[in-house]
Order: sequence, then C-alpha cells, then structure tokens
Amino acid sequence: MWRIWLLFDPRRALIGLFTFLFVLALVIHFILLSTNRFNWLDGPHTAAPAVTTAAPQ
Amino acid sequence: MSLSGLSEPEAKEFHKIFMTSFIIFTVIAIVAHILVWQWRPWLPGPNGYTGMIDTLHGALGAVQHFVS
Repeated sequence: MWRIWLLFDPRRALIGLFTFLFVLALVIHFILLSTNRFNWLDGPHTAAPAVTTAAPQ
Repeated sequence: MSLSGLSEPEAKEFHKIFMTSFIIFTVIAIVAHILVWQWRPWLPGPNGYTGMIDTLHGALGAVQHFVS
C-alpha cells in the first residue's frame, strides 16, 4: 500500500485531498443548513403565512 | 528514482504518517456521525420520521413485554 507514494507525489496528493474534503464538508454543511430538519442554527421553519394581495379591481 | 521522486524509505515514512492521520480523522468522523444520528437520524422509516418514534416505542414495548 505504501507504494502508492512512489506513484503519486505526496504534496500534490495532500493538497488535492484537503481541497476535496474541505469543499465536500462545506457543501454538506450548507445542504444541511438549507433543510428544515437538520438546520441546527434556526431550527425548523414554520410555513410562512400565505400572503394574499387583493388584485386591483 | 520513482515517478513521484520519493525513495522507498521515504514512501514508507510518509505512509506511516498518512495512515495515522487518516485513522484519527475517520474515528472523529464516526463519533460525529453517531452524535448526529442520536440528535436526528437521517434515514426515515417507511412511515416517515414521525413513524420512527412509534416504531421505537413499539419495539421498546415489545422488548419490555418480552422481558417481564
């Protein structure tokens, strides 16, 4: 298994891995924040009351 | 010289550090996932998330009935 580092340059592999993991984590966290159930900051959003504007007659 | 420019001892040395870091990262991730699952499981049962509570209560009740 260690022979992989004979093929891939560790520096580039680490930069790629860290970049990938960071972007993945960011995406997952924002997806979770956008949901009702898993938003840990605001909690579930109740449906906003329907705004009905009377059409001008 | 290899493709990456590392010698075999260097590759082994780096691999040791890499695997240690990887295992630590994975353990932290597993603990985090366990905590989040306890907070709010993310796979709903067949009756949705609220159905899971009934399922859990039902399962607990069945176990209690079985034990007592």
